[in-house]
Amino acid sequence: MTAEGQRRRAFWQILLFAAGLLVLTVISAGSVYLVNKAREDSKWVVHTIEAENQINNLLLEVRRAESALRGYLLTVGPEFQADYEKAAAAIIPALDRVTRLTRDNPAQRENIEKLSAALETRLGQFAREIAAIRQGQPDMATALAREAAAQGATTMIGNAARAMIEEEERLFRLRSANADHSQTLAASMTGIGSGLVVVLALISIWLVRRSGSARDEAEARLRDANLNLEAVVDERTADLREANDEIQRFAYIISHDLRSPLVNIMGFTSELEELGGDVFRRIGSLAHAPAGEAPLAPAAPGGVALEGADKQLAEDFSEALGFIKSSIAKMDRLISAILNLTREGRRDFQPVKIDTRELIEAIVTTLAHQAAEAQAEIHVEPLPDLVSDRLALEQIFSNLIDNAIKYLRPGVPGEIRIRGRTKLGYAIFEISDNGRGIDPKDHQRIFDLFRRAGTQDKPGQGIGLAHVRALVRRLGGTMSVSSELNAGSTFTITLPIAWNVSNRNRDR
Amino acid sequence: MTQPVTIIMIEDDEGHARLIERNIRRSGVNNEIVSFQNGTDAMKHLFGADGSGVVQKGNALLILLDLNLPDMTGIDILKHIKENKYLKASPVVVLTTTDDSQEIKRCYELGCNVYITKPVNYENFANAIRQLGLFFSVIQVPPAAT
Repeated sequence: MTAEGQRRRAFWQILLFAAGLLVLTVISAGSVYLVNKAREDSKWVVHTIEAENQINNLLLEVRRAESALRGYLLTVGPEFQADYEKAAAAIIPALDRVTRLTRDNPAQRENIEKLSAALETRLGQFAREIAAIRQGQPDMATALAREAAAQGATTMIGNAARAMIEEEERLFRLRSANADHSQTLAASMTGIGSGLVVVLALISIWLVRRSGSARDEAEARLRDANLNLEAVVDERTADLREANDEIQRFAYIISHDLRSPLVNIMGFTSELEELGGDVFRRIGSLAHAPAGEAPLAPAAPGGVALEGADKQLAEDFSEALGFIKSSIAKMDRLISAILNLTREGRRDFQPVKIDTRELIEAIVTTLAHQAAEAQAEIHVEPLPDLVSDRLALEQIFSNLIDNAIKYLRPGVPGEIRIRGRTKLGYAIFEISDNGRGIDPKDHQRIFDLFRRAGTQDKPGQGIGLAHVRALVRRLGGTMSVSSELNAGSTFTITLPIAWNVSNRNRDR
Repeated sequence: MTQPVTIIMIEDDEGHARLIERNIRRSGVNNEIVSFQNGTDAMKHLFGADGSGVVQKGNALLILLDLNLPDMTGIDILKHIKENKYLKASPVVVLTTTDDSQEIKRCYELGCNVYITKPVNYENFANAIRQLGLFFSVIQVPPAAT
């Protein structure tokens, strides 16, 4: 998984979250608006119904007045008169209420004018009829009633009122449709919004799950890679161990088998030397013997002096043999060195608790003579104790201290210092001197077998440091050198504080 | 019943065999030396065709043995000799290039009487053989069968 992919997913998640928030806000605002609008619409619907009610109420009052008047006309009973008075008195306030309720509608205003005109006419007729009855002229009242019926004011009132009711009903339909519409809108808005939120939430969940599964997959891959890595490391380590063992065996066999012919070469060279001695003694005795004397007279060994060309031959002969013998001796030393190294590599280490300071003091004591000769002082500082192989440690430190004494600067009193400290389960030892130092380009070379560096004025095979490094490595440590020419050297050895025999046995 | 001791030399390297023989002679030992260049021939001679060792019954033997042989290791020969009832009393001198302490220890454990490493330094080698000659002249070798 790439960083680019991660960034993109994070971006998408933020976008989704923002979209969800936006949708919620829009839904809330829209719902509030639509609910308000629906309430407004409902108010108008109620208003319309109220207006219709009032119109009907007005008509009812007019009818009541009419019927009371008719009753009064027939019976001249005072109760009808009271009824009439009450109805007639209610008509004008009812008209006022209708007028107030329908003031907002221009169409209704027109109707109201017609209605109120007709009502005025009708109320006038009522007043006249009532007056005629009171004056005791019922006939005239009847005639007036007839006349009024003929004039059609009642019909006009009815028409105007019907027109108004129709108008109100139209408004009612319109407004209830509006209210319905608003409510439907509000409902669908809420529904769609909720749906959107749900969809966004689902997408979000899907994204989270996808990134979760991507993470799980990455974790699994990491775990696999780790396991794989461990297996690979184990495999490589095993291969290396095998290769190392093979090299050890190879070196052992080679050096061993090389020794056998060397014994013959050396043996027969010595035989040859002896033979050569005999031959040259014979030549000498022959050259010195006067003619006629027995040539085979035994000559005293070395008693016969050779002369001229014979002497030259004898010298060349022994010189050649000398070179052969010294070369054989050198070869033998090299083979022995390899044998010793491989033997050291095959030896089993025995980890024991070691008082490091005591061990180094003992080494310093054995080297005291050389140190005194080289005018060197050895300072041993407090050192951490170890669990390790005693012999290996002895070899490591005695080689290094011996080297430090051996390669001091001529004429400069030596100062050799051995320091130690611990760090993270490892003990770090430093053996430093103020000797001749090592050129940095030779720092690798000095650890190679049979290789040396600097002025070759001291005897040695070039084995010590190779051996020390092999030991340090077998003990699970590392070693390094820091040095400049003529500025002394410091060899640093890092060893595990507790060397475990099991990690070695695993090699076997 | 005194019988001359026969020296059996098992050594694959002719040069070594020659050097050893020469130095033994120089030390004044004149016993018969029978030499073998491989383990199989030596085993046949020592144990006979049936492998029982009865052929050497009554013979006084001294065995010089090299450990690195082409066909078998000297250790196996040593083991066989020391396990055989006719041969186990014969002294065995291991004379070899191997100077590994483990190997030396093993040989002595198996019953080898003397272990000599062949040094490349010829003087030491010759001295060792001559001393071995001295050793031969003083030791009493019992006959193989008792």
